[in-house]
Amino acid sequence: MFNSPLPAIEAHGLTKRFGDFTAVDSLDLRVETGTVVSLLGPNGAGKTTMVRMLATLLRPDAGRASIAGHDVVDEPDEVRRLISLTGQFAALDKNLTARENIVLMARLRGRSARAAREVADELIERFNVGEFRDRLVKNLSGGERRRVDLAAGLIDRPHLLVLDEPTTGLDPRSRQVVWSTIRSLVADGVTLLLTTQYLEEADALADRIVLIDHGREIAAGTPAQLKAQVGQQRVDVVAADGAGFERLTARLAERFAITALPEQRTVSIAAPDDVADLRRVAAAVQDSGIEVDEIALRRPTLDDAFIALTGEPPEGVPDREPEEVAA
Amino acid sequence: MSAGTSTTAPGRGFVGPVSYLRNTALLTERSLRAIPRVPERLLDVTIQPIVFILLFLYVFGSAIHIPGISYKDYLFPGIIGQSLAFNAIGAGVATANDITEGVVDRFRSLPINRLSIISAQVMGQFCEALLGMVIVVVFGLLLGWTPHLTLVHAFELGGLMLLAMLAFVWAGVLFGMLVRSPDAMQGIGFIVVFPLSFMAGTFVPISGMAAVPRTIAQWDPIAALVASVRGLTQGVHSSGSWQLDHPEVAMALWCLLIIAICVPLALRRFNNTLAG
Repeated sequence: MFNSPLPAIEAHGLTKRFGDFTAVDSLDLRVETGTVVSLLGPNGAGKTTMVRMLATLLRPDAGRASIAGHDVVDEPDEVRRLISLTGQFAALDKNLTARENIVLMARLRGRSARAAREVADELIERFNVGEFRDRLVKNLSGGERRRVDLAAGLIDRPHLLVLDEPTTGLDPRSRQVVWSTIRSLVADGVTLLLTTQYLEEADALADRIVLIDHGREIAAGTPAQLKAQVGQQRVDVVAADGAGFERLTARLAERFAITALPEQRTVSIAAPDDVADLRRVAAAVQDSGIEVDEIALRRPTLDDAFIALTGEPPEGVPDREPEEVAA
Repeated sequence: MSAGTSTTAPGRGFVGPVSYLRNTALLTERSLRAIPRVPERLLDVTIQPIVFILLFLYVFGSAIHIPGISYKDYLFPGIIGQSLAFNAIGAGVATANDITEGVVDRFRSLPINRLSIISAQVMGQFCEALLGMVIVVVFGLLLGWTPHLTLVHAFELGGLMLLAMLAFVWAGVLFGMLVRSPDAMQGIGFIVVFPLSFMAGTFVPISGMAAVPRTIAQWDPIAALVASVRGLTQGVHSSGSWQLDHPEVAMALWCLLIIAICVPLALRRFNNTLAG
């Protein structure tokens, strides 16, 4: 693999307003070919609006964006040939079967009926859709739909794959399945723009994370850089009662750098070594014989990231973007 | 992997007229496949007219006497005219549904002519309208409706009905895109199309109505549909306004007017507002 001289995405000052509401506010974004970049932010941060502008579904009010050098406003046909978008709300026809959906996408991408069936069967194999290939999409679970959705988005190997919140609303097991699917795509060298609300997901999949809120960039960097800013994961030990908490604080302070939170009867310990630290703390608690309610490894969440980077939690904003005001 | 456009195999030719027709056909087929799988979608255009037929024929009908014609033969052309207009509601609800589903966004992100997406929407709704109409007509014939059609009138009626379906489906597609919520679309149907279809001389003669509904009916496009169907199938002519004196011409003009207004607006809406 080699780096293309043209970035897969290059956006400068991209802006979109819906009436008085500025969904995306002068955002810059650069995604090198062959890399995975995650747009991370809470609901309503402007992720979907950004994606829709890049995918030629929304016209920016200001700024420019190009996909592999093709401007999204001036050369939309070129851009549509280069990208594949799978949307936040599994964009499949729910009255078609899984296979019919994939065949339809293949045909709309110019395959003959026969070639479309062939490519569909390949994708069905690759994405483990076989089990439910002939079930109507409306009868599939969220995780199953996502797999069909991904398969339908990969008829032609896209120059840029855009996944808008691929695991929102999925149970943890389905999320793992989708992640492993995405990982295998990434291993193949697909250039990927991934939007998500989960810090964990961006951390697991992306080379670079752009944290956004209110349509603006809050922070950007590799997952390691961002996590260094956000703070480590920690092990929290919750004592069963007040007296236990005192003794626990004393005992654990001998061995670890602790933060005591008396109101929650919690002793919190930095855990840079992840599960290894959890084991050490659990062993120390066990040795002490003090009764505890809970010992848990806490990973930093999106909320923690926002508090660390902006000093305030992300604001609650409406789930769906407001409808565009007709001209 | 190599850079640039070479990674997406098929080259140009996605947006030309041949691919427009091809993609329209593919997307229409997608809509039609839903009919046997979601038969309740056909209920809009079949059960409603059938309920009206049964209600008016067997519940209210005995109280309605139209000189020179049996109520059955008076009623069926009315139901057909009303059903033509109801297609707008069905098409609107289906369009609002489709647009909120996100699958339309996916089609729009493909390198295909966007006109084929909306053409297919209209074609699919048109086929549903046609199927619904066939069911209503067959039901009517089974219940003993006896149209008296010459061959020429049959062709004229068929042509007018197809034109009306096309016009009202386009209107529905436009409103479905403007409203974007299936429930709101149903609401508009009840508030606008329902009363207009009742005032159109569908069930009782316009001449007996109070002044306000009578005046509305004289210029109600649905009244032109009803009067045309009734005139061509039963030889019963209405009068009271220019459009009722010349219902076939009026019906054609109304339909062309609706098409002339709704098609460009719908295309603009599809390309601009949804596309941003």
